[in-house]
Amino acid sequence: MKQIIHLDINGEAQDIAVEPYHTLLQVLRDELGLIGAKKGCDTGGCGCCTVLVNGKAVYSCMVFAMTAQGKTITTVEGLADGATLDPVQQAFIEAGAVQCGYCTCGMIMSAKAYLSSDGSHLPGDLEMRQAIAGNLCRCTGYQKIVDAIRLAASRRMETSAKG
Amino acid sequence: MPETNIVGKSVLRPDAFDKVTGGKGFPVNVRLPGMLHGKLLRSPYPHARILRLDTSKAERLPGVKAVLTPSEAPKNKFHPVFFSPSVAASMVHDMLILSDRVRFAGEPVAAVAAINPQIAEEALELIHVDYERLPAVFDPEEAMKPGAPQIHEHAPNNIAMHPLFAFGDLEKGFEEADSVFENTYETQRVHTCYMEPRVCVVDSDARGNLTVWSSTQHLFGLREKLASALGIPVSKVKVVRPPYIGGGFGGKLDISFLEPISALLSLKTHRPVRIEHTRYEDFITTARHPVKVFLKTGVKKDGTFTARYAKSILDTGAHATHGAVVLMVHGMYGFLLPYRCPNSKWEGFTVYTNNMIGGGFRGYGVPQAAFAVESQIDEICDKLHLDPIEFRLKNSHGEGQQHPFDPGFKLDTYRFADCLKQGAAQIGWSNRRSKGSGNGTKKRGIGLACQPLWVSGCVGFPDIYEHSGAILKLNVDGAVDLSMATIDMGCGQTTVLSQIVAEELGVPLEAVRMTYADTETVPFDAPTHASRVTYSAGNAAKAAAGQAKKRVLEIASSMLKTTSDNLETGNGRVYVKGAPDKGLSIADVVKQAESPYVRMVPDGMQRTSLQEKGTVMGVASLAPASNPSPATAEFVEVEVDTETGEVKVLRVVYAHDIGKVINPAGAEGQVEGGFQQGMGFALMENLVFDQESGACLAGDFLSYKMPTAMEMPPEIKSVFIESHEPSGPFGAKSLSEPCAIVPAPAIANAIYNAIGVRIRELPITPEKILAALGKL
Ligand code: FES
Ligand code: FES
Repeated sequence: MKQIIHLDINGEAQDIAVEPYHTLLQVLRDELGLIGAKKGCDTGGCGCCTVLVNGKAVYSCMVFAMTAQGKTITTVEGLADGATLDPVQQAFIEAGAVQCGYCTCGMIMSAKAYLSSDGSHLPGDLEMRQAIAGNLCRCTGYQKIVDAIRLAASRRMETSAKG
Repeated sequence: MPETNIVGKSVLRPDAFDKVTGGKGFPVNVRLPGMLHGKLLRSPYPHARILRLDTSKAERLPGVKAVLTPSEAPKNKFHPVFFSPSVAASMVHDMLILSDRVRFAGEPVAAVAAINPQIAEEALELIHVDYERLPAVFDPEEAMKPGAPQIHEHAPNNIAMHPLFAFGDLEKGFEEADSVFENTYETQRVHTCYMEPRVCVVDSDARGNLTVWSSTQHLFGLREKLASALGIPVSKVKVVRPPYIGGGFGGKLDISFLEPISALLSLKTHRPVRIEHTRYEDFITTARHPVKVFLKTGVKKDGTFTARYAKSILDTGAHATHGAVVLMVHGMYGFLLPYRCPNSKWEGFTVYTNNMIGGGFRGYGVPQAAFAVESQIDEICDKLHLDPIEFRLKNSHGEGQQHPFDPGFKLDTYRFADCLKQGAAQIGWSNRRSKGSGNGTKKRGIGLACQPLWVSGCVGFPDIYEHSGAILKLNVDGAVDLSMATIDMGCGQTTVLSQIVAEELGVPLEAVRMTYADTETVPFDAPTHASRVTYSAGNAAKAAAGQAKKRVLEIASSMLKTTSDNLETGNGRVYVKGAPDKGLSIADVVKQAESPYVRMVPDGMQRTSLQEKGTVMGVASLAPASNPSPATAEFVEVEVDTETGEVKVLRVVYAHDIGKVINPAGAEGQVEGGFQQGMGFALMENLVFDQESGACLAGDFLSYKMPTAMEMPPEIKSVFIESHEPSGPFGAKSLSEPCAIVPAPAIANAIYNAIGVRIRELPITPEKILAALGKL
């Protein structure tokens, strides 16, 4: 039996009817048309479905939609302001971190969660790799994804130094 | 070498903006009104006959619209790989869309279409099947023995194919040798792990015309093969090109059961039907074939080959599909062709087992061969105290020589020696220590492996058709619509083709956009495989752009009252040679072409030039003139923990002659991704199956381990040796596959250099290392 839950998705309050067995990923993709989160495995193994729940990166395929009641969800669709991209999205393009792109939105969300913490230092290679250790990519070998995170982090430092 | 403005620059991918903001273009997102969802019922047994199939309960479940059983499927056997009818005819045809005999655990026996995936899933459980279990065999060598279970009636001893090639006098060659080496090498089953699952939507009309959306590497191949499986003319099938797909790596070259079953369900229900694989289904649908390679090699003291013999046993699983051709490429490009040897013989066996069907995977049989050949060269050099670089140079082909496979082609550009030299310098080869000489428990070693010869497509071998085509159209605002059947599976084909068009036409890259295409609107293109797109499709794109440019120059010459050869294009303008300010924008030229021939003005009719009228277009369809060979050498440094058996890759230098590099950042990305796949093959990935039940034991990413960002080396250095290939677009050859072929032997050789023990079976796990060190 469907139940109504209340979510804040990308800054918009929404009431949605969901089945108890619906995962958050299913609701985002099939009910709300937010197709940025991808299904790569549906079993918590690939990270393509990563979104932010209350600011934390989670696998949306591993969360029942009902348990997200009252929470704040950010998907990749919530990052850009029109044609102006979020700095992390911009860095992914510039660093050549996008190939087939199927992992990309999940990667960006993991990077986003990681970069939302303390911005005063330039992260080390290991730290950045840990941030995306739960996201698989079969195309890039991760090198340019790490480059993208580094680029976004350095720009963030410059901005915070200026500001 | 001609000057270029856009080709040769690291450009931003035209599809990246879409992909970072959501990626609408993936086939997985296709939804149609009234669409049903299909699911496949798969056999739990590796070998069985279906005695009875009762679907009545499933059909009565509300929401179920159709159930499909073997009795309703066409009875003609088809080939899911070969799109060229002439080649397909000579291949083993052993597949039915649905059969009452299953030959691997997971082969479909029935299918359901319902209003949602949950109901379809539920319906599968209501289908009752009586199976008669048959004896199964999982080891190809067991399968070849007399008395083994027979998997297909047409293949005695389960041998689907037994090709053999030989030249020279093998016996004499071994007699002339100072030393003879005999070793056996084995590789395991690994999955391509494209991130977007296989998915398709098939719609039909009342006259049986089909429209297909699919995560495929070959638009026209899907049309040809689906038509052949269904026994209908090709013109009844239209396949729509997805703007991009979520990876393929060879794993989406064939049609699987998905498309034919969706088509049959759609024809039955008169509604669009979508089937998406679960990750488990993907894991049991395609994989690199395990191959056991026996090598016998004769060499002179100085390291010259005198005789080479190889025997390869390939486990093709339940059906021969790719298995027959993968074996040939394995033998040719893995063993016979890369090095020179006057006396050589190779024979291979494609063997049926009750394992999953093997598929295409970057390198197409050659990673398995290169692991054997490149490891053995290291063993020979070690025994005879020869330098592995010198050894390879001594036995390799040279620039300007005839192509070893097709004497009609020459190795016009071939910089293998430079790859070895530059790679060696970058890794510090001269400082390489003798094997196992490090102190402490963590030992370092450096290894080298090569793929001296490769392809830029399939011209010449195998003999499938290789032409590509392009249509492009200019708009009044200067934008260029490029339409091709070429699939971009992530490697940046759209980027490279757009760069080639922009360069040739003289417009900024942003002006070119890859647009809609389907099998009814664009010329044929061969698959995105065999490292071929930059070279083959690139030539077609360039030719179409050249034609459009010619038209631009014609119109502009009429407008500027000069001749075409007095004009050139650049940066979106057409102008008098050497005087960029004397000219027009290309947009103005197109506007003139698109404007009325006769205009009404206050004092009557005004005519403009008829020659200036008509949409500015370019069209090409052509086969490439050659099949130039890239060459490659990879150097790897590893650290082996002799207490835990763990291997860490510390440094990678990859040197590659790919001709002119069209997009350097994109090329590096290919190398980095290729290394991840090769390293997974070398050290950790293994698609294991239960040897009793035939069930897949690694059907998700928690049990199938591929490298994450944590396991990857901190840096992979690409060194591109740029030759100018005369037959390639702007001098380009090809890139994609060698970088996924060489990592395994390079890592194995580096491990040997570190610890002095040789492991001849992949993956090289900590257990194998500890066992080899006598610690287990
Ligand atoms: S789809 Fe959620 S982790 Fe793979
Ligand atoms: S870009 Fe293809 S999976 Fe990451």
